[in-house]
Amino acid sequence: MGNIEEQDLKDRLSLIESMIAEGRRTTESWGWTFLLWGVAYYIAIGWSAFGRPAIAWPVTMIAGGVLTGVIGSRIAGRNPETTTGRAMAAIWIGMGISLFILMICLGITGRLELHTAVAIVGAMLGGANATSSIILKWKMQFACAVVWWAAMVAAVFTSDNLAGIIFLVAIFFCQILFGIYGMIAESRRNKVRAGEQGAFHA
Amino acid sequence: MPELPELNPVIHGKLRLALLSLLSGVEEAEFTWLRAKTGSTDGNLGAQLLKLEEAGYVAVEKKFVQRKPQTLYRMTEPGRQALTDYVQALKLLLGAAIDA
Repeated sequence: MGNIEEQDLKDRLSLIESMIAEGRRTTESWGWTFLLWGVAYYIAIGWSAFGRPAIAWPVTMIAGGVLTGVIGSRIAGRNPETTTGRAMAAIWIGMGISLFILMICLGITGRLELHTAVAIVGAMLGGANATSSIILKWKMQFACAVVWWAAMVAAVFTSDNLAGIIFLVAIFFCQILFGIYGMIAESRRNKVRAGEQGAFHA
Repeated sequence: MPELPELNPVIHGKLRLALLSLLSGVEEAEFTWLRAKTGSTDGNLGAQLLKLEEAGYVAVEKKFVQRKPQTLYRMTEPGRQALTDYVQALKLLLGAAIDA
């Protein structure tokens, strides 16, 4: 084996393992997007209730999309692109575009009513949250999916007023509370990782 | 008894090994991210990345994002193969050490 020490080889093997794991660790932050879209939904609901419903949702959703893009690109600029990150973006962008087009079409044709709207949003957000939670192995996000699915079922079977209340409650739990929880969890995780960093020399 | 493999000297340096391993887990990474993860200085990091680039193990892309220069590194296919071969060689050497 020459002058190569066994311990040195073991150290190199463990260095490779730890660096591969470090690179694959998801450093993306998602909590802020939930909070932002939760606030956007509330703004759109409030605006349509007391202002101009025809433009409230499209304008708020476009503004939300632009804000997400701008903030997201600033955050992404600091982190490397990972397959997990791209999968997450694909799920949410795909879901967002589908929902936006469907709602616009239903709105234009006058076929959009509260039961259907809440059920569609519940189904789409439930599906997207469930898919994300399975990829990220994040049980708390799966709980959000369950809440959205429950909202979807409830919206179909209840009155208009109750469907609206269910929508507001689901947004509060799955967007606002979950977003804040996600941001706190991400901040804690980043602090722990910052403490784990070491230096390597050639 | 089979002949023991040689360890690739380009990869064997600790910082270069750490860099290749990091890049194997991401699609591409910025210079500043690699610096943060390795805790290396700009000069040392740049020199080691240049060696990996000259060996054809990493590819570099320079671009401007929001008017700020950004240097992105990604692992090439020869780089991935070299790291795989290096790990195999390490395992063989360690196996030989345990057997001895």
